[in-house]
Amino acid sequence: MKLSFASTVVLMLAVAALLAFGPLVLPPFYVRVGQLMLYSAGLAVAWAILGGFAGYASFGHAAFIGVGAFAAGLVENRASGLSAPLLLLLGVTVGGLCCAVLSAAIAYPILRLRGTFFAIAMLGVSHVCAEITNNVDFFEGSLGLNFPSVTPSGLEPATFFYWLYLVGGLAVLLIAWQIRRSRFGAGLLSIREDEDTARMLGVPTERYKRLAFVISAVLTGMLGVIYGHSLGYITTDSVYRDDTNLSLIVYSMLGGMGTLFGPIIGAFSLVFITQVLLGRLLDFHLFATGLLLVILVLAAPGGVLGIARTVSLRRHKVTTAPAE
Amino acid sequence: MSLIAQTLADGLVLGGIYALAAVGFSLIFGVLHVINLSHGILVLIGAYLALITSQALHIDPLLTLPLVMAVLFLAGYGYQRLLIQRTVDRSPLGSMLLTFGVALMLQNIMIWLFSPDMKNITPTYAFASFKLGPVTFDAVRVSALVASLVLLSCLAALLKFSALGRVIRATAQQTLAARLCGVNVRHVYALTFGVSAAFAGAAGIVIGIILPFSPADEALWTMNAFVVVVLGGVGSPAGALIGGLLLGVVNTLTAQYVGPSFPNVTMFLLLVLLLLVRPTGLLGHAFSASR
Repeated sequence: MKLSFASTVVLMLAVAALLAFGPLVLPPFYVRVGQLMLYSAGLAVAWAILGGFAGYASFGHAAFIGVGAFAAGLVENRASGLSAPLLLLLGVTVGGLCCAVLSAAIAYPILRLRGTFFAIAMLGVSHVCAEITNNVDFFEGSLGLNFPSVTPSGLEPATFFYWLYLVGGLAVLLIAWQIRRSRFGAGLLSIREDEDTARMLGVPTERYKRLAFVISAVLTGMLGVIYGHSLGYITTDSVYRDDTNLSLIVYSMLGGMGTLFGPIIGAFSLVFITQVLLGRLLDFHLFATGLLLVILVLAAPGGVLGIARTVSLRRHKVTTAPAE
Repeated sequence: MSLIAQTLADGLVLGGIYALAAVGFSLIFGVLHVINLSHGILVLIGAYLALITSQALHIDPLLTLPLVMAVLFLAGYGYQRLLIQRTVDRSPLGSMLLTFGVALMLQNIMIWLFSPDMKNITPTYAFASFKLGPVTFDAVRVSALVASLVLLSCLAALLKFSALGRVIRATAQQTLAARLCGVNVRHVYALTFGVSAAFAGAAGIVIGIILPFSPADEALWTMNAFVVVVLGGVGSPAGALIGGLLLGVVNTLTAQYVGPSFPNVTMFLLLVLLLLVRPTGLLGHAFSASR
């Protein structure tokens, strides 16, 4: 299924416009579920710029959510007298900048690791950031941090943040899509397929993967700022969450690793399953998530899009291997 | 002076236990190239089994060792045969997610069975201690350390001298060549996993004696095992011992001189530093699988 440039843009915007009507027709509970779906989808795509395209699966992206949210909150609380939109803009900028600095600083040592080593080292980064936020008084991580309200008057906060997540998610998707289409994106794919060969053939792998890491971190951090605002009050535990760290991998695996829309499909379906279908079984939550993971790995390692591709290949009787 | 000696001694005791808790992880990693994220859960299963049996039979927790190790060996064998084998030799992410899923399920089951509260095993000699020069040793900690060292030596001897050990080492070095020589690789994988699970269970008993534990601790023990393996080098009991002792000493020194809430920060900084200067671990080839 190959779409032209224009029709892809139109299709994305049309779906986004359709989704924008969500809060006007859905009951409040589903608006919240929708918020979570859009937020997760945005994170999933931001994660996939590094994890899906370049194959560097991070197990610690919650670090950037936390750093972004705390940086924004600390700055916004000191910048009194700004109007709400400016305050949000300031927060998102500062959050993104802090994530850029952090990711650029750790990129060199961390990206020397590959595969599972990289994944676990990122888990370490997320734990260390959480611990520092929690123990250094300046960051107010253990006490908690209040965010100033940025919701325009006359709007439900839930509706406002739903739209904010929609805009944020769409922006992340467009960036990821442009990266995928570019020479840079092709370079990232070649890193995933065979990094040593790619380097030998002249792909600047070091620079590409560092850039992908920073972009992914910044986008994640900016979404984290919005997340902090939508919670209104955050502590260390509410943003540096290990289940976020895990979910980001699962979204891509569920939807299809390395694809553009796979992470979105994965995020939507996983949030639906855990929030709506299992919403009342809190005691079983860990168990059900674990079971889902096990089934996923054993039955559909290529994810939903992997299955779809296999089916369509069979139907068209294509004998060549899919050029992933 | 006596403070630093005491801190070092405590660190070494703790390090011996870290080493025991990590050696199974290291073995699986070296032989199967699987990162077993359910390793911490296996450790905790050992601790809970020891708690139950020592209370039911009114015996010293260290005496439950053979039973716990046997149960976990069988469980590990079955676990590998039924689940992990399906993801071996595929992308490393698959086996990681699979073991993580199993860890979540088992953690949930443990919370149902044992409640999420902290538990600990208290042997009869829990409050005895003796002095050696200026340094005080708790009897519990010393018995835990001795048990760790004995078990690590047993594993080293098993790998070095027994027929099973030879087959395991052969499989780790060259899976294909081992298969050509008539080694049933799947069986060896499962046996390795069983041995690893048995040692994780033994570590659980030792940990249960000296530290309180709860189902949520599993991530901590998995993470520790990973750091120990990276520090020491993969696949050998000696590497695990070095890595474990180093981690233990660094942890207690940080807690004593920097602040009680920073051991993880230094642990991670140490990890990054080591990756920069010696990416293969102090002994062996921690990153041969990653490059």
